Amino acid sequence: MSAFPCSEFLNRLDQWMEGERPSEARAHLRDCPRCRALVRDLETIQHTAQALAIDAEPSPRVWHSLRAQLVEEGLIRTGRRGWAHDLAGWLGETFALVPRPALAGAYLVALITIGIALSGPAGRHANEARWISGTESSTQPLSAQLDTAERDTISSLREVDPVVTASLHDNLAIVDNYIALCEKSVREEPENEVARDYLYDAYQQKADLLAQMSERGGDGR
Amino acid sequence: MVGNTAEAEDLTQEAFLQLFRKISTFRGESAFSTWLHRLAVNVVLMKLRKKSGKETSLEQVTEGDEESGTPRRDFGGPDLKLTGSIDRVNLQRAVEQLPPGYKAVFVLHDVQGYEHNEIAEIMGCSIGNSKSQLHKARMRLRDLLHEAVREKAREERRAAGSASGGED
Repeated sequence: MSAFPCSEFLNRLDQWMEGERPSEARAHLRDCPRCRALVRDLETIQHTAQALAIDAEPSPRVWHSLRAQLVEEGLIRTGRRGWAHDLAGWLGETFALVPRPALAGAYLVALITIGIALSGPAGRHANEARWISGTESSTQPLSAQLDTAERDTISSLREVDPVVTASLHDNLAIVDNYIALCEKSVREEPENEVARDYLYDAYQQKADLLAQMSERGGDGR
Repeated sequence: MVGNTAEAEDLTQEAFLQLFRKISTFRGESAFSTWLHRLAVNVVLMKLRKKSGKETSLEQVTEGDEESGTPRRDFGGPDLKLTGSIDRVNLQRAVEQLPPGYKAVFVLHDVQGYEHNEIAEIMGCSIGNSKSQLHKARMRLRDLLHEAVREKAREERRAAGSASGGED
C-alpha cells in the first residue's frame, strides 16, 4: 500500500524532480504505475532537452548590421580606429577606470605589434593574394605578444582590489571571446576585408584594455 | 527559444543594441553576465509576447493557461509512455508551443543548464517561481508530446486503413 495518495505525490512532484526524494514518495512510486509513468515521462523530457542545446555563433551579418545600426543611432562613430577607440572608451567608462597617466610596458608592446599588423592592409592592393596568405602570419605573432602582455599585466595586478580585478578579468574574457569570433570569421572568409578589419579592431581593444589594467595595477588600486 | 536561426540572429542584434543603449544603467549590483543575460531574455520575451498578440506579465503568461478552461488531462497511463517516442525534433516542436514564460525557464534550466537561483536573477523572479514555472513547463510539454503521439497513431491508422481499402 502506498505511503500517501497520488494527489499528495503530485503536490510534491516538482520537489521529486529537483532531487528531494523522501521515503513516503519512494514507497508511493514503487506501488503506483501511473505516477511511475509520469515521472519517467518527465525524466525523458529532461534528458532529451539537453540535446536541444545549440552552441552556435551568429553570422557576420549580425555584427555588420549591428555596427551599421549603432552608427546610425550615433552610439559609435564611423571609421575603423574611431570605432575601436569608442569601444575602448566605453569599456573604460563602464568599469570606472582612472585616466591613463602613462603607457605601461605591456601596452607599448601591444601597440607596437598592432602597428605592425595594421601595416598589413596598406600593401594589399599590390598583391591581394599574398596579403591574404600573409594575414595569418602577421596576426599570429601579434596574438602571441598580446598573450605575453596579458601575463605581465595580470602579474602586476596583485595589489589591486580583488573585486576590481575580477571585473577586469571578466572584461578581458569578453574581449577574448570577441577576438576568437573575429579570428573564426577571418579563417572562414580570408578575402573579407571587413572581417580582417574587425579582427584588428579586436586586437586594438585588447591592447587598450591591457593598458587600463596595467595602469590600475601600477596605481595599486 | 525562438526555434528559427534568422529570428534568433535578429534578436541577438537587438540584444546588443539594447546593451549599447542601456549600459549606463548597469550599476554593478549583479554580475555583468547576469545583467546581460537578463537583458537578452527580456528582448526575447518581448518578441515572443508580441508574436502571441498580447502584452502580459510572466505570471499572467504562465498562470493563464490553467484558467483557460482546458479539460484536465489524465496525468499518466501505462499506455502512453513517451520513452522511445520522443526525440529532439518533436521535443523542439513542443517547446515552440509553450507560453513564453514557461519556454524561457525551460530553455534556461533544462536546455542551457542554468540553476534556479541564476534563472531567478535573470528573469527577475523568485527561486520558487522559477521551480514552479519549470514544473508546469515540463507537464505542459508532456501533454503536448502525448497529443503528438496520439496524432501520429491516428495518422498511421488512417494510412493503414486506406492502404487496406486500396487492396480490396
